[in-house]
Amino acid sequence: MWPRSTRDMVCASVRYLTTLVMLMAISASGCVVVKAHQRGNLAKRAMTNDRDPGEARFGQHATGSREGADGGTGQPGGGCGCN
Amino acid sequence: MRLQLASAIGVGAIVALIGTAHADGTVSVRGVYYKERATRVVQPMLDGSFEVGTRGLVVAHFLVDAITSASASSGAADATPFTEKRYEGGASYTHDLDNLRVSGEAKYSTESDYISMFGGLRGELDLAQKNTVLGVGFGVSRDSISAGSAQGLATPMIECTTGMSAAQCPLTATSMFLSASQILSPNAIAGFTYDISGLKGYQANPYRSALADDGFAAERHPNWRLRQAVAASLRYYWPRSQTTFIGAYRFYRDNWEVNAHTPELRIVQAVGRTADASIRYRYHTQDKAVFYRDRYTTTDISVNRYLSDDVKLDDFTNHLFQAKLGILGEAFGMSGRWAGARFEGILEYVRQHNRFGNAIIAHVALTVPFEY
Repeated sequence: MWPRSTRDMVCASVRYLTTLVMLMAISASGCVVVKAHQRGNLAKRAMTNDRDPGEARFGQHATGSREGADGGTGQPGGGCGCN
Repeated sequence: MRLQLASAIGVGAIVALIGTAHADGTVSVRGVYYKERATRVVQPMLDGSFEVGTRGLVVAHFLVDAITSASASSGAADATPFTEKRYEGGASYTHDLDNLRVSGEAKYSTESDYISMFGGLRGELDLAQKNTVLGVGFGVSRDSISAGSAQGLATPMIECTTGMSAAQCPLTATSMFLSASQILSPNAIAGFTYDISGLKGYQANPYRSALADDGFAAERHPNWRLRQAVAASLRYYWPRSQTTFIGAYRFYRDNWEVNAHTPELRIVQAVGRTADASIRYRYHTQDKAVFYRDRYTTTDISVNRYLSDDVKLDDFTNHLFQAKLGILGEAFGMSGRWAGARFEGILEYVRQHNRFGNAIIAHVALTVPFEY
């Protein structure tokens, strides 16, 4: 009946993140370097951001008011009993 | 009134700028309609982005949420629908310093029972000839919550903390995120984000009451919540068919013991040079908070310190299906700046396995590029 300890959560997250960052650094070092002139496909709309700011903002607000797993997006609360 | 005046000045400034200088920008108008069993939302919004000099970019938005609800959690009495409006405005400035971009952001939202202010800073660093981009961000929001939408005779007091009641209760949220993106090949890019936020203050709903064997009592939620999430995404472009595949996954956990998994898949198909169509599927599943019960044994605080009727804290799943179509003005034979204007329509259906019921969402949008 008591919420999880903040200290335990933060310590576990630091361990996971450290492992993840090390794995990412190792995998990134094996990546090929793609030159600027080879990035035509990466510059396409669907590969950069296929969602407009307005669509993304509404989606974040809607899921924030209907799901209990919101956070970190900087979206204001409120609206339709969202708290 | 002040926000309406600011909006009018903003639109006036955009119109004035379009006629004069030499930089690029876009203006976007969007209307969204959201409908579920007891709630209907109509949201018109205006977004703009404007280059400032050769290294600056200003992005701003303004929106109105018109919410019609018969839900008791919105303040409705006897399930009688009522309408309230929320106004939100925000702006950010990004400055480009070659391989580093720094930006600041501010946002303000107000409605009869909820006022929110947010300020944030973020930075992005390009590495390995821009094959790797690392980002970090920090933000603080300060909210004020009341029962101002209550449809009864008087605005009720709410219990900010145990034994301390007031007309308004504060909530402060401090958040931070880290992000990384890595180009994997000329057709693939991967992304990763980690975000953490700590919320301190009133986090219940002033209108909701929890059900117990000995009656009803106002919600009592913990005043501290630590939320964390990691997310990863992969985008792949298949040149032969001009198709983009986007896969994403997010894992969330918090100290109220809510754990959530949210995978998502999007497929975007280019149709010639002037149109694209996409479909999206998103699945969300979560555990319930450690103190959430459908029905409590008693409202006695010595037995049940926390009480909740928040369905978002129960365990449930939902499925989101989306179809989107975007067409450039050129496809309709338009010329000049209208050739690059983008018309967009979106339809969404959300199957929610809880008492909110299923939802239908529709967007229509127009984005117009311009020079000034």
